[in-house]
Amino acid sequence: MRIVIAEDDALLREGLTMVLRAQDLDVVAAVGDGEQFLSAVDEHRPDAAVLDVRMPPTHTDEGIRAAVAARERIPGLPVLVLSAYVEQSFAADLLHSGAQGVGYLLKERVGRVSEFVAALHRVADGGTAIDPEVVAQLFARRRGADRLDALSPREREVLAAMAEGLGNTAVAARLALSDNALHKHIRSIFAKLGLSPDDSSDRRVAAVLRYLEGTR
Amino acid sequence: MNHRIRDDGRSILRRPQAAVRAWVHLVLAAGTGLLALCAVLLGLAVAVLSLIGLGLLLVRPWLALVRSIADLERGRLRRLGHPMTPPYDPLPKGWRRAVEAVREDRATRRDLGWLALHGTGGLVLAVIGVQSGTAMVTDLTSPLWARLLPRGEATVLLGLVQVDVGQGWIIALAAGLLAGIVFFVLTPLLDRATQETGLRLLSPHPDVDLSARITQLTATRAAALDAHGVELRRIERALHDGAQNRLVGVAMLTGAARESVRQDPEMAEAMMERAHGAAEDALAELRGVVRSILPPVLADRGLQGALSALAAACAVPCTCEVEVAVRCPVSVESTAYFVAAEALTNVSRHSDASRAELEVRRTGDRLRVSVRDDGRGGARPGSSSGTGLTGIARRVAALDGTVQIDSPLGGPTLLEVELPCGS
Repeated sequence: MRIVIAEDDALLREGLTMVLRAQDLDVVAAVGDGEQFLSAVDEHRPDAAVLDVRMPPTHTDEGIRAAVAARERIPGLPVLVLSAYVEQSFAADLLHSGAQGVGYLLKERVGRVSEFVAALHRVADGGTAIDPEVVAQLFARRRGADRLDALSPREREVLAAMAEGLGNTAVAARLALSDNALHKHIRSIFAKLGLSPDDSSDRRVAAVLRYLEGTR
Repeated sequence: MNHRIRDDGRSILRRPQAAVRAWVHLVLAAGTGLLALCAVLLGLAVAVLSLIGLGLLLVRPWLALVRSIADLERGRLRRLGHPMTPPYDPLPKGWRRAVEAVREDRATRRDLGWLALHGTGGLVLAVIGVQSGTAMVTDLTSPLWARLLPRGEATVLLGLVQVDVGQGWIIALAAGLLAGIVFFVLTPLLDRATQETGLRLLSPHPDVDLSARITQLTATRAAALDAHGVELRRIERALHDGAQNRLVGVAMLTGAARESVRQDPEMAEAMMERAHGAAEDALAELRGVVRSILPPVLADRGLQGALSALAAACAVPCTCEVEVAVRCPVSVESTAYFVAAEALTNVSRHSDASRAELEVRRTGDRLRVSVRDDGRGGARPGSSSGTGLTGIARRVAALDGTVQIDSPLGGPTLLEVELPCGS
């Protein structure tokens, strides 16, 4: 898998490159800002891109804007955005360009190498990877509000895992559930929230996120 | 107020020059009083003409005249040491607005009130005071100069008494003494009285004054919030770009090292080494941020110790004098420290000075920080050394303090900052 990295901090840029190369991933370019990123993407047409949110010149949301711009040039380009802190509105900006092939994770998740690489693969395959922190923020904002209260604690865990972008197998593994039990939970959740059940995982993530975000 | 006037009156007996000074004031007061009387008479004429409409057009020029007379009086009072701020907006445009101002504008109406009082009562008091002085001199000396004039020509008391006829000289001396008593006892009081109307009516109304103060306080409060916001952003940036990124690096590298420790111990070793370096960098960054928020030396050793350390560390030889008997609030101390640090940095970077002096004193509820150097001067906010000065000004304004920079080209430079300590 060919990857372009954009990260302004030299240590992190090299660290990231090291980590990915150690996992036999092909880092074709590692750059320091949004503009260089766009030209690197144009040049290399990578299978996935990993970006930092805050980069020069303004150190605010260059990474998000560069990711959105890159996806406008190359529709469906998988992008995984890393950030030192999560901001749910950044996630919303990112997901605005479609939930397929989008990831938004805290930077330190890179240290859990196998999970990070799994998330990267998921994104590269058109899936979604949303940081549990973002999901927790969304849940927190919705606390006390109506229909989420109707969910059982277990169902909430399932919903959170789905919102992160995990597929059924991964959710079942994380929560130690049987396939059957998981399907029962999912059906119940979708019924309680009034969402139409859909088996393709990215549409499911989109529906869940939109639900969490939309009725704030 | 009354008490003070009486006090003044008594002390006058001991200090005749005060009476002379008051007399001079009264001469000027009589001058503005006379002008005010003319303006009052003109005003009456304008009012009468307004009945047939014509006067309405004259209101504006008349107001302009009134204002210039009022401004003369303000100038007079200012020279007597009273801070006088002209209270009103520019002269209204057009006769309608002028008439409106006469009817409604508070400052204009206060001017007119002063005009009426000063042009009548004030003028009379001022003339009495002036007369007492001249009469005292002429009456007391009349027996002397009466001889120079033809017999019967020398008169006092408005020509009623002939000095050199009969017992006239006794009456003249008595009149002179009376005038003298008035002169020594009353002129200071008259002086005060003629100032009083102007002080009360020609300054902005107390409410207006208050609202100006409120505006200023609001501005300093905004500056405080602004400075606070800027400071928070700075700290956030320092933490995020520095320590946090280093720690993310540590997490990333140790995680990756753990992953590869089995298959590729050498790689893991290299990663651990980098992680170690990143952890040390993070600590250094954190120390820097902490120091910039509240210098630990200030917390540990107080303002005196912190400032001595600062002066000792300055590249230019610097003396340090600190006289702060009572400790100030932390925010004040930390601002004083910041000011001294920035100023000394400026001195060593830009001034070419051979020596510097740092002086910090607390008098009452104000803390004064002054930094002096014998360098080449020319320090201005906005110049190369200016970012430091701008930072100083912002932090000082946040505490409602004042900054003064005296730095002529060629030096020397004196920076003075005053901070209220709020007791």
